[in-house]
Amino acid sequence: MSGMQRDTLEVRTAENVGIGYDAAGIGSRFFALTLDYLCIAGIVLFVTLLWRGLAGTGGGTADTLVVGVFIPFFAALVYFVVAETATAGRTAGKRALGLRVIRVDGGAPGLREALIRGILRATFDSLVGIFWMFFHPQSRRLGDIVAGTLVVRERRTEAALPPTAPVLLRTPDAGPAVDGLERLGVKELAVLRSYLSRPGLTPQQRSRVGAEMAHRLLDRMELPAGAPERQWPAELFLERLYLQLASRLGTA
Amino acid sequence: MSIPVERFIGRRQQAWRDLEYGLARIRGGAVRGVEVRELERLGMLYRRAASDLALARRDYPGEAITDYLNGLCARAHPLLHRGEPLRPSSVATFYAAGIPRAFRAARPYVLASLALSLAGVAAGWLAVALRPDIASTLIPDSLFDRMARGEVPAGEGTGALTASLIIQNNIRVALICFAGGALLGLPTALALLANGWTLGTLAAAVHRDGIDLPFWSYIAPHGVIELSIIVIAGATGLMLGDAILRPGLRRRAEALEVAAGRAVGLALGAASLLVVAGLVEGYVSPSGAAEGLKYGIGAVSGVLLYSWLLLGGRARGRPPGVSLERTAAAEALAPAP
Repeated sequence: MSGMQRDTLEVRTAENVGIGYDAAGIGSRFFALTLDYLCIAGIVLFVTLLWRGLAGTGGGTADTLVVGVFIPFFAALVYFVVAETATAGRTAGKRALGLRVIRVDGGAPGLREALIRGILRATFDSLVGIFWMFFHPQSRRLGDIVAGTLVVRERRTEAALPPTAPVLLRTPDAGPAVDGLERLGVKELAVLRSYLSRPGLTPQQRSRVGAEMAHRLLDRMELPAGAPERQWPAELFLERLYLQLASRLGTA
Repeated sequence: MSIPVERFIGRRQQAWRDLEYGLARIRGGAVRGVEVRELERLGMLYRRAASDLALARRDYPGEAITDYLNGLCARAHPLLHRGEPLRPSSVATFYAAGIPRAFRAARPYVLASLALSLAGVAAGWLAVALRPDIASTLIPDSLFDRMARGEVPAGEGTGALTASLIIQNNIRVALICFAGGALLGLPTALALLANGWTLGTLAAAVHRDGIDLPFWSYIAPHGVIELSIIVIAGATGLMLGDAILRPGLRRRAEALEVAAGRAVGLALGAASLLVVAGLVEGYVSPSGAAEGLKYGIGAVSGVLLYSWLLLGGRARGRPPGVSLERTAAAEALAPAP
């Protein structure tokens, strides 16, 4: 988490806490845009029928231009501005793909950001913006840069609150002290905890993953080939190792 | 030494779940209908979750709980930190005071934009005056033909059709002038020069043919507003370009953001007047009204436009403009009066 990758943005909040966001890629943004344009096409159709009904015209160059240029131009502009402002950055297309527009300071886009994005989309971004996005590490188009915004992926985390305690099935206590514990750190502890508290594994999968993991950990601890720990069943070893490492690192 | 992660989660998870539940309620973006007390509580829950995230970053890096908290805060932050909602009264204030103030603040850019337009006019005039033989190739074709025949160019179809096309085209040009600022203002400068050029060549051609008065009676009713607005839109684009070229103490991207935030209101506010100009251009300008009346309309529109731009929002005792940095969360935290 500390080393931010190129396609992420770290927002420092007012509380001086860094929140990491994942930038959305070109593919998903393009797909979201397509969905939004479908919505706009619907609106254009509706307004066109209304216009034809009111104006009572149905031909001529000027009428064609109104229907083909005037209505789509303003429908697209108004749709994006209203949708981005009203939904705190999630138009229908973005919602469908789990995307959201945020300001680079982490806030929701307001009217001014939506307007700038909309104006750039209606003018230069259809040509220049595409190339820009290809070369920008966070896939920001020109409108994003001028408005100071970014499209991010919203992670679904509602159900992701991790389980609170690992399930220990094999061992009643930490067992005899294991050598080489000092070669392991919090990273290994986290891996052990997530293995032991992972639900939904069949016993076969659990023992297979456990055996691989034990093998790697034993190597990392640089235990000799004849060490007694290598004779323990893998899952028993992992549980004992977890308990000892946790008490050594003072987190359990 | 930190507390065990299990105990950390056990102690705090109820607050996180409360925050999740609250977020789900304002998810669509509608804060309206949620009680102030509830919003205050959400703000508090969010700040505690943020400090939990900071703790988790330090004590449990790389664990699932840290990712979980990051996701939770990432979703909460934009929902709780947002700009002012749009109110009819703020729109009215913006037109009454915001646009004129922004116009006056942008004076150097307005002058630069005007200079570019005038340079285009001068170049166009000179080109026609020096090379009358190729005048017809210098002037946009269809317009020239009609002007040369002393005709007033009437739009096709009804006034509504013409007006809507004119409005769309002019607003598009104004938006291009603004957006061109992101490309160093080069497209903006080109658009201003081209606009001036068209005007200059036409003016020279009609002057040569001695039909100045009828020609300008066609331009005057809408032209005062329309040309002023294009100059203003050009000024906003030049502001953006200047911010990139001379960012001062900011990073270029930041300077651009700030300038765009200031300029966009002026650009769009100005562009909205093109609707008025377009309607005049569609209905009044091509009509058979007396020349004197047309010139009168142009003069009145000019007086109204510039007294608004130069005098609007100058009243004393008015509090400074509303800060757009205020957020819903900050508002929720403000002590009740």
